[in-house]
Amino acid sequence: MPPRLEPLFRETVVGLKRNGSIAVAAISTAFISVFLVGGALLINRQANLLIDALTGNVEVSVFLSDPVNTDNVTHLTSLLTTLPSVADVHYEDKAEACARFQKQFAQEPALVENTPCSALPASLRVKMRDPNQFRQVAAALGCTQDASGNLSCGQPGVERVRDNRTTLNAMFSVIRFFRIVVGVLAVIALIASALLIANTIRVGLFARRREIGIMRLVGATNWRIRVPFLAEGVIQGLLGAGIAILFLFIVKVTLVDPERTIVKFVPFIRNGDIVAIVPWLIVLSVLVSLGASLFAMRRFLEV
Amino acid sequence: MITLQHVTKIYKNTVTALEDVSVEIQKGEFVFIVGPSGSGKSTAIRLLLKEEEPTAGEIFVAGKDLSKISSWKTPLLRRNIGTVFQDFKLLTDKTVFENIAFALEVIGKPKHVIDQRVPEIVELVGLSDKLNNYPNELSGGEQQRISLARAVVNRPLILLADEPTGNLDPATSVDIMRLLDKVNRIGTTIVMATHDHAIVDAMRRRVIELEAGKVVRDQERGVYGVAP
Repeated sequence: MPPRLEPLFRETVVGLKRNGSIAVAAISTAFISVFLVGGALLINRQANLLIDALTGNVEVSVFLSDPVNTDNVTHLTSLLTTLPSVADVHYEDKAEACARFQKQFAQEPALVENTPCSALPASLRVKMRDPNQFRQVAAALGCTQDASGNLSCGQPGVERVRDNRTTLNAMFSVIRFFRIVVGVLAVIALIASALLIANTIRVGLFARRREIGIMRLVGATNWRIRVPFLAEGVIQGLLGAGIAILFLFIVKVTLVDPERTIVKFVPFIRNGDIVAIVPWLIVLSVLVSLGASLFAMRRFLEV
Repeated sequence: MITLQHVTKIYKNTVTALEDVSVEIQKGEFVFIVGPSGSGKSTAIRLLLKEEEPTAGEIFVAGKDLSKISSWKTPLLRRNIGTVFQDFKLLTDKTVFENIAFALEVIGKPKHVIDQRVPEIVELVGLSDKLNNYPNELSGGEQQRISLARAVVNRPLILLADEPTGNLDPATSVDIMRLLDKVNRIGTTIVMATHDHAIVDAMRRRVIELEAGKVVRDQERGVYGVAP
């Protein structure tokens, strides 16, 4: 016998209406929690964009002076490669540097247009095995630090050496802090929303205990009794997630997008980044609300 | 249709509700279970519905060993058993039609079957003019007739009635018994737990008397009082 969907749907809607105010509370917390989780993911994404933009995944950049001498490049490369703390050395010529720059700032056509490729220095991009051993690299290149902290390097052809980690450390710790705070808030909010959804289900079970008793007596299957409640919980979760996703877009448009015109040199998250996390947020909210509903039914619905 | 073999039910290891009860009820029988409160009548009904498991012994309903029915198949067992209770168990926010339709709806009957069977069964219990009334607008006897209609609308093999006349006056009780007799005549096996002397004496059907969880009397065409 094919199950009839229409009565199930009707019971779900009746349940949501009956618990109106409690359902609103559950939806609100679901919204807040999904919003925070999404926020944490986007902050993470933004941080990665920044790190990528500023370092290109390279921990130490050795900028070479113009014009680049190929003998110097070979010499410096072999010099650095022999260091135990260095994992890999890659020579990035001007064309490559230019391509990376243009890709990074693809959303800033004005910036790309006004930066001639010749202005970008060639560099040796050094991946460290142990990122804390910057001193070893500096020493090998004959660099000495002056009183104000600037490095001047003895090796021919070296313009400037930059430990990307130190320049970014302060920023990273701020980002890391934000990420943790938002993550913790998100977890708390998720727990709260799970409890509130479980509570609305419990109230619903109580309000409909006579109906449930009769359903059981006339031989309704457990599945038939539970589905309207499960659906109610999942709909609450999904509504919350839907509002949260909408708000993520709103925040991006109102808070992030204006930065784009102010801070020109930094890439910002785009709509695509939000779209990319939407499936995860939906899956998460379904899992949390389904889990909460099942929990409530295990606790409060004897079979 | 119903067989109990040496059934014992002990609650929480202390209260013995039924003790070594063996009963055989044939298809189409009408059986009264009588006895004072706490004698085990309601426990027997709960066991037949598989709402409880016996502590010892075996129960067969409609040819099936209840201990071998998995929990997810229990609903299918219950579809073969109609139930009527003292408190009617009607949903006050649904009309007569909706109450009976609900019982069919939740076991997945299609709408056209519901639209056909509900008026039929309401006509059988003589309340066709009350289809769109709410339970609170009906008398106790009328509510119990609706409850009975709901119990039999899915054409069960067995009807279990737990004190169905407990809340009704004698005249109304007689109406309910007439209906139960009518349902019995179309082949439904009926097991009715009751306190009501007058009804048992008047019906002259099989009487099983329980006392402190034991069968103390099993008599064809019996009366309520102790037989000579």
